[in-house]
Amino acid sequence: MRKRITITAPAFALVLAGLTAGAALAEDNPRPEGLAALGPPPIPADNPMTPEKVALGEKLFFDPILSGNYGMPCSACHRPEAGWAVQAPISFGYPGTTHWRNSQTVVNSAYYGKLFWAGASGSLEHQARSAARGGVAGNGEDDMMEARLAFVPEYREAFKEVFGDDWPNIRHAYMAIAAYQRTLVQTDTPFDTYMRGDDDALTEPQKRGLALFAGKANCVACHSGPLLSDEAYYNTGVPPYSGWEEDPVAQITFRFELYAKGVTEKKYRSLKDDPGLYFRTKQDSDLGKFRVPSLRYTKYTFPYMHNGMIETLRDVVVFYNEGGGENEFAENKSPLIKPLDLTDAEIDDLVAFLESLSGEEILPEEPELPSMEPLPLAQN
Amino acid sequence: MILRILLAGALLASPAVMAEEAVTPEPPLEVNAARAELGKRLFYDYRLSGDTSLACASCHLPEKAFTDGLSLSAAYTGAAHFRNTPTLANVGYRDAWMHDGRLGTNLNDTAREMITETYLMNMDMRIMQERLKQDPVYVEMFEAAGMSEPSNGGARNALMDFMKTIQSRNAPYDAGTMSAAALRGQAIFEGKGRCSSCHAGARFTDDRPYNVGVPNTPDIWSDPERHSAFVTYAKFFGVPNYMNLREDLGAYIRTHRDETRRSFLTPTLRELKWTAPYMHNGLFETLEEVVDFYDAGGGDDPLKDPRLKPLGLVPSEKADLVAFLESLSGDSFDIDAYVWRKDDYDYALIEDWRDEQN
Repeated sequence: MRKRITITAPAFALVLAGLTAGAALAEDNPRPEGLAALGPPPIPADNPMTPEKVALGEKLFFDPILSGNYGMPCSACHRPEAGWAVQAPISFGYPGTTHWRNSQTVVNSAYYGKLFWAGASGSLEHQARSAARGGVAGNGEDDMMEARLAFVPEYREAFKEVFGDDWPNIRHAYMAIAAYQRTLVQTDTPFDTYMRGDDDALTEPQKRGLALFAGKANCVACHSGPLLSDEAYYNTGVPPYSGWEEDPVAQITFRFELYAKGVTEKKYRSLKDDPGLYFRTKQDSDLGKFRVPSLRYTKYTFPYMHNGMIETLRDVVVFYNEGGGENEFAENKSPLIKPLDLTDAEIDDLVAFLESLSGEEILPEEPELPSMEPLPLAQN
Repeated sequence: MILRILLAGALLASPAVMAEEAVTPEPPLEVNAARAELGKRLFYDYRLSGDTSLACASCHLPEKAFTDGLSLSAAYTGAAHFRNTPTLANVGYRDAWMHDGRLGTNLNDTAREMITETYLMNMDMRIMQERLKQDPVYVEMFEAAGMSEPSNGGARNALMDFMKTIQSRNAPYDAGTMSAAALRGQAIFEGKGRCSSCHAGARFTDDRPYNVGVPNTPDIWSDPERHSAFVTYAKFFGVPNYMNLREDLGAYIRTHRDETRRSFLTPTLRELKWTAPYMHNGLFETLEEVVDFYDAGGGDDPLKDPRLKPLGLVPSEKADLVAFLESLSGDSFDIDAYVWRKDDYDYALIEDWRDEQN
């Protein structure tokens, strides 16, 4: 089922810097097709934004109460100081485990229609729930997390005010977190300012990089639109996560994912790499495919790719310049990925352009967290 | 030391041998010895909990007849339990498990409940299975136990077989070495005290729930970690108005019949020497307190079982009764037959991972 989405700019939040489309686009400097500045994020009609909801979601995002061991908040693997992600190939797992994919930034996640690397969630609300409950992530259980929320006086009040709950409803917790995440957007990068008409917003190398991006390198074939992602799925030949050969706990998690997400017995026995989209479709033609990530905020979200196997933005450009890599799902590798024949100078320019897709680091002060208290008798 | 050797031998041999070496309340249960040995290792393995912080043995300590000495049990990280840990002595002979009797099938299901319950071991058993497969000792033991490879179902069966081997041994009551006081106490137990109307059979329990009026414990409701675990439990069982409950409803959670409110399964009286404090909420520290409680006709509850009446026991009768109860306790369970002593819990890297079959 698809949610109906209405696009409304929440009145209280997003002040879009540089919206003044003053200087008309210079005739001699046209902007490439297929790319655009980023506007306000879509807000689902069934989860409208209010300041109170966002404030509640902010607390819940940082509060370990939404995990199995009262120790793994969303922010454990989406650390503001680490690009709202984890600056390691693979995300921290739940204690006693390791995760198996790279943690994605929360910044601008509001624009995705497909969350997680293989698009397993269709909304931030759904994504929050999956992450809180996943065995190698939050390992929480809805009944328990919901029970705990009821023991926090501040949450009782806030859920009542925001959602009209007699007692905090765990689904509403995920809605509040999603609302908060919809405020973590960045629409004023140098790229955005440039696309809105300011010719001086990009440096000359960045402008050359943009031309390559939309031209010779053809990155725009997939990294298109204001998000710089077409949200389609491709196998670009990213090599498998090296930890699967080095870390017994990673080997455990790898098999668990095959088991839990469901593959054939034969594949459970033989796969040695993340089958990606196959988990959802069970089609061999989808083995090794992942959803195209946005290129925004990537200055802070190293390392890259679904398994963090590429360290720097320059390495990523070099990877594609060489025509991508090879993994065990080679038959599904996208024909779009082929050697680009870029010079070193052109690679530099492309990297310079990619850097224009990140603005200032978003580093808010983290909220003070309330705690559980004994529950007074007969609240209602 | 001799006993230890004999018992270790008994486990590997046919179950019948064990009864010859130690006096037990009932004949041993049929188990697969290799599977029980595997279950023993699993029982002490912290990797059976989600964050690897708890083993079965964390709350079921062998030196306390597989209890923990706490009024209310500990629980998973971030939570606390709302009930007293029951002994596992003779646990394989029960008709039903848990103080509320909510499990009435077998110890395989009981193990699953303990391992997967969010406020207990909070384990996704699919992760557990893959953890077991990463430990070469388990790979070997599962094979030796006739199971092709580690699996969560196999692990539960192994835990079941291990638990079935946990039997009381050499209690004075069984060995025929009761003191005179204990013998007098037995007469009171079966006569004036009417204890045996519920505490019947070899394990001194009928495995049925009764309301005896054990007082509510404030320690659940004053502690958000305990209380929130209780709410999780009550909600799961569909108890109406669970947020405003301030009492443990016992067997009601599975019957939803009002007359079963606050009724709890008759506990075994075996191994009481090791298992203080007593009652489903650990409210009584000593056996003397328990005897006083029943002498007074139990607690105060409108649904209390009508058979509970003041007994009019004199102090010497109470002392005899306690002596009898003590005669139902046997040898310590802290012996090799019941304890995995080796600290050999480790994962091994699968070296040629790309070529090995998963």
